[in-house]
Amino acid sequence: MFSHYIDLGWRSFKRTPLVSLLMVLAIAVGIGITMTSLSVYHMMSMDPIPDKSDKLFAVQLQTIDEGQTWWSPDNLPYQLTYKDTESLLKSDLPYKRAALMATGFSVHLNSDKVKPFLEETRVTSRDAFSMFNLPFIHGDVWSQEQEDSAAPVTVISSSLSKKLFGSENGVGQTLYLDDLSVQVVGVIKDWQLHVKYYDLNNGSFNEPEQIFIPFSLIKAHEINTWGNTNGWKHEPVKVFNDKLQSEKFWLQFWVELNNETEKRAFEGYLANYIAEEKKTGRFTREQAEYKLRDVNEWISYWEVVNEDNKIMVALSFMFLAVCLANILGLLLAKFLRRAPEVGVRRALGASKRQVFFQHIVEVGMLGLFGGVIGIIVAQLGLFGIRQSLSYYDSLANMDISMLMTAPIIAILACIIAGLYPAWVVCNTTPATYLKTQ
Amino acid sequence: MLKMNNISKMYQTEMVQTHALRDFNLHVEEGEFIAVTGPSGSGKTTFLNIAGMLEPFTGGDYLLDGIDVGKLNDNQRADLRNQKIGFIFQGFNLIPDLNLYENVEVPLRYRGIKAAERKRRIEQCLEQVGLASRAKHLPQQLSGGQQQRVAIARALAGDPRFLLADEPTGNLDSLMARQVMELLEQINRDGATIIMVTHDAELARRAPRNIQVVDGQLADFTLYQGNPNVAVGA
Repeated sequence: MFSHYIDLGWRSFKRTPLVSLLMVLAIAVGIGITMTSLSVYHMMSMDPIPDKSDKLFAVQLQTIDEGQTWWSPDNLPYQLTYKDTESLLKSDLPYKRAALMATGFSVHLNSDKVKPFLEETRVTSRDAFSMFNLPFIHGDVWSQEQEDSAAPVTVISSSLSKKLFGSENGVGQTLYLDDLSVQVVGVIKDWQLHVKYYDLNNGSFNEPEQIFIPFSLIKAHEINTWGNTNGWKHEPVKVFNDKLQSEKFWLQFWVELNNETEKRAFEGYLANYIAEEKKTGRFTREQAEYKLRDVNEWISYWEVVNEDNKIMVALSFMFLAVCLANILGLLLAKFLRRAPEVGVRRALGASKRQVFFQHIVEVGMLGLFGGVIGIIVAQLGLFGIRQSLSYYDSLANMDISMLMTAPIIAILACIIAGLYPAWVVCNTTPATYLKTQ
Repeated sequence: MLKMNNISKMYQTEMVQTHALRDFNLHVEEGEFIAVTGPSGSGKTTFLNIAGMLEPFTGGDYLLDGIDVGKLNDNQRADLRNQKIGFIFQGFNLIPDLNLYENVEVPLRYRGIKAAERKRRIEQCLEQVGLASRAKHLPQQLSGGQQQRVAIARALAGDPRFLLADEPTGNLDSLMARQVMELLEQINRDGATIIMVTHDAELARRAPRNIQVVDGQLADFTLYQGNPNVAVGA
């Protein structure tokens, strides 16, 4: 009977094409608006590294003196000092760790082949590539020896390799970061991320960097950050080393802990580290404070998806509800006009349930058509958002799950709107219409 | 086959109670052809609707083929209607955007009959009413008489034991009315029980048994056996 109901639904559309089109368009607009905001919300709130998000932890240490406050929800600084970052990185621990800093350079080849351009660069340590799932297409990460000796080496993305060297395989080539000549040792697949979870200081949805250099280059070449540097007490910084020795926060630190035991052990290490540092006059608070947050906890701690985003989604659903209220009225009128035919069907043996399902299938079809056109409307909406701000380039997109969700929401919404009209028409007394038809 | 004992039907509004039927008693045997006559508003159609389970009744007992209709729920009534009853209406009540084949198919679909069997029955019924060649036509492409023959084919398709006809010739000219009546007589001779509501006294006299409904009650009862001009019972 289901295919028969589909056939009847299709005939019904053809019988009243204008009203049907009006309803489909109303659903399409409602779904389009809803899916636009829902898609952005979905991309914002999507787990950026689902297979490891519960194993990667951002490290926070409370180095601020007692009585001083910070603007984070729990008073812990978002970033670490250079001293702590270096100590955590160099300590003899069996866990993968990554120190990170945002910087940038004028990139060129010291020739007229490629016009110099400014490019953000990520300073980091070797483990970052395996921790954050960055696969190498050519070459490999720099060696530990290169890391320790502050060798001028780099890993770049395949896009940048093509841009600079005309080939994906730029391994062995040399490029310049300002005046620093660095050799390409590895090329990774472009890093596609919706949320730049590893460093949320300067925009949660910015594109990941395409150039990576060893952490040891910071000290060796006095590389300054392009990210945030925050202090909580007066510390004159006259030379670069002053900054390295200061209590200013300007670096991020991540650790990979594969189970609860490893997490507890690392927390124990942090507690000991704080106790040792106390002896040097740092970490003056009575209670040692530190925190490990996994990727999703970190994203929510930073309020990457804020109340405004949620309100926007709620408003778009309310708009869809208004569209559905209009559809409900149109459906009621359309179905009641068909009451005489329903009377005939009932007289010929259709039960109320069969009549009800016939009409529900019809509204489900309306929802399907509206959902499909709604996807086109949503694509237009997302295109408009992308055009308005490059910030939204990776966010204002519909992934496959959203593409599948759109018709499902449309069908469910239409079925909800169609329940009352279908119930009314299946409860009409057939005899009323049989004599008067 | 059909037994109605003290059936009553009351319509109630805030201001008025109207008795459409009261103490209505009727027994119909298998194979009968009954004409139901009576003035407008007397309750003929209400009786037919109750007989066809299209309306609930307010009081009394109604047994169809031994089944107590009053105890059935909507689904059971729909099934029983589909299995045992065929309807023929004054206004034909064909579904306008279905062709003749599809119109005749409607009751068979609700019965869950397989496509091949549906096809066989539809072709047979359309053949019986002389419209097999027009199976793909839409109702509005046919004359009134032809439409009524399609309605009869639809009523016959489910092979019902009961045919309920409400003014089946009311919208037809005399020639077409006669053709439809001859078709109904043939169907009755083939074994179907027919109850036909009509205003036309001449047509009513062609039925072997007449009943008259006045003010919601069975007021008269006349048998015409063979000769439609002679009343043999009251």
